[in-house]
Amino acid sequence: MTAPFPFSTVAHLEYPAGHSASDLPSLREGIASVPPESLFFHVTRVSLRHPRARDLPPNDFANWTASALQEPEIAERLAFAGAQPLAPLEELRASLLRILDEASKKRAETAAQGAAFHFISARSVKADLGLVAEEPEQVVHLWPRIDFASAFYHLVEARVLGPAEDDLVAWLRRAGAARIADPAEELTGGGLPLMRLHREIAARWRRSLIPARLLRRAEEPDAARRQDARAVVARFAGRLRRPQREPEE
Amino acid sequence: MSEVQAGGWLERYAQLVGPGTLRALEALARKLHGHRLVMVNTTKTGGGVAEILHRVVVILNELGVPTTWEVMEGDERFFGVTKKMHNALHGHGEKLTSEDRAIYAERTRREAERLELDGDLILIHDPQPAGLISLRRSKAQRWVWRCHIDLSSRDPDHWEFLRPSIAQYDASIFSAIEFVPPLDIPTYLVPPSIDPFSEKNREMGVEEMLAILDRLGLPRRGPWVTQISRFDRIKDPLGVIEAFRMVRSRRRARLLLAGGGASDDPEGAEVLAEVRERAAKSKDVTVLELPPGSDIEINALQRASTVVMQKSLREGFALTVSEALWKRRAVVASAVGGIPLQILNERTGLLARSIEGAALQTVRLLDNADLRHDLGAEGRAHVRENFLHTREVRDTIAVLSSLL
Repeated sequence: MTAPFPFSTVAHLEYPAGHSASDLPSLREGIASVPPESLFFHVTRVSLRHPRARDLPPNDFANWTASALQEPEIAERLAFAGAQPLAPLEELRASLLRILDEASKKRAETAAQGAAFHFISARSVKADLGLVAEEPEQVVHLWPRIDFASAFYHLVEARVLGPAEDDLVAWLRRAGAARIADPAEELTGGGLPLMRLHREIAARWRRSLIPARLLRRAEEPDAARRQDARAVVARFAGRLRRPQREPEE
Repeated sequence: MSEVQAGGWLERYAQLVGPGTLRALEALARKLHGHRLVMVNTTKTGGGVAEILHRVVVILNELGVPTTWEVMEGDERFFGVTKKMHNALHGHGEKLTSEDRAIYAERTRREAERLELDGDLILIHDPQPAGLISLRRSKAQRWVWRCHIDLSSRDPDHWEFLRPSIAQYDASIFSAIEFVPPLDIPTYLVPPSIDPFSEKNREMGVEEMLAILDRLGLPRRGPWVTQISRFDRIKDPLGVIEAFRMVRSRRRARLLLAGGGASDDPEGAEVLAEVRERAAKSKDVTVLELPPGSDIEINALQRASTVVMQKSLREGFALTVSEALWKRRAVVASAVGGIPLQILNERTGLLARSIEGAALQTVRLLDNADLRHDLGAEGRAHVRENFLHTREVRDTIAVLSSLL
């Protein structure tokens, strides 16, 4: 029997990581020495800053290299290296350093005064949302009530930085729900903007539960099925009467 | 669990940020239940900090975090010293005299006795009341210093005067990493935020907007390119006129430079005179001096703009950019201070590094309504997630709860 899964939200306490860069060598030096939380902040957590973006902006290192150093080719390579949200942070660090090692042989552009890159780190302050899944299918029902920060925390942050017990996909696997865990893991690894990720996971989960629901339904007595059908129609009618508004767009 | 009050500010915010964000905010606020927060600054009206506190204090109370707001009082001499200090911490000012130091210490002592600093969490805003920490009533209290100003060009003499006080705090908060001086206490970064319901940012119909343009004597017919900033060299108003002349040689448009800061600042008056002189020699350039409190006029001017510029040479956080983005305006700005956090080039606005660059980006925007629409929509979404008061409240709760 797997323990229940409590959902949490997080706020991130950002603080200076103690390094700054004005050119590619100093950027390399910073990337080599900052803690993994700083890499996570500058690369992976970009998606939490832009949850509703149509497509995700490149990570902070790539963005700064393009705008402050005017190095589009290196920026493109740094952006690509950071486009795997579930990659272990030491692998990410190695990829970024490899690109900068190759690049520093060719050029030595310096950022204009006032445009230095300052490394930031962050730690999470976790808060209980009061939503608990006792079994995997409940995750599907609770999911629409989970905010973006919570989704990011349970799908990405807990996987990459820990703690392991808050990793939602790992919990689903332990509970024997591979059909729910697989699409979540696959979509999260694709690096979608958070709002789309949140929606697409919900849609895939709903679809994945259809066969099981049909089976259950087939075994139920006619009266129960009719009652369920009436409830569905009533919900649909209610929705038509009171259209649910997304916050703006 | 705190409940969102019907008709309260949280309910209004929920319509903008969504119920999930609100649920998360309530969950974080529960970490401060049983605690009491006191905010302290030096003015109840006027200025960005008072504007933020008016709303944030209400939001915190609605979230179930009992919060009060105390205002440190002072006489002309005290505020003369703190004004000097404020300017010097921004990088331009006179030295502090021993009399100045005595005035500051004496007023701080008197106010520490008078103010009701009886919460277990004390959040002090800006340098003026920072000295209150030396008279902290209980070791169990947690004191946080929230610095809203950019200390990157601070005068060392003034900073050395202030630093021993700051060192006694349990933590400090700055708006951007570039503003942070070396400190031995935990330092956190919390960007400032705007209030979407304030006079400066609230929704405004076209009729109301046009009526305000009429009242200001501005032609309704644009397209308007505007920079709304105080008349200060670091805002580069002459560079804006130069860029606009390049634009005007290729496209029909009008430039409006509007702002305050000239009446009580000799250098501001000098800059305004230069700007007026240069504007007089340029076609379709209007210069408008706005008195303090012109929030509704700023709202209308931003909404009337086809392109909003912020071509500063140096900046603090530049929340005017978020204000324009919130109104779905297309923005051309320099990549200085807090602007790159708000403008992601080609996504939420356009960045420029030179006068020619600013001209080029302005022409691009004047010519392309689709581009303006897309940048405006993305810009508003970016502000909604990152620069509204609900986000600042969330971060502040996180800092305070980390000290418990």
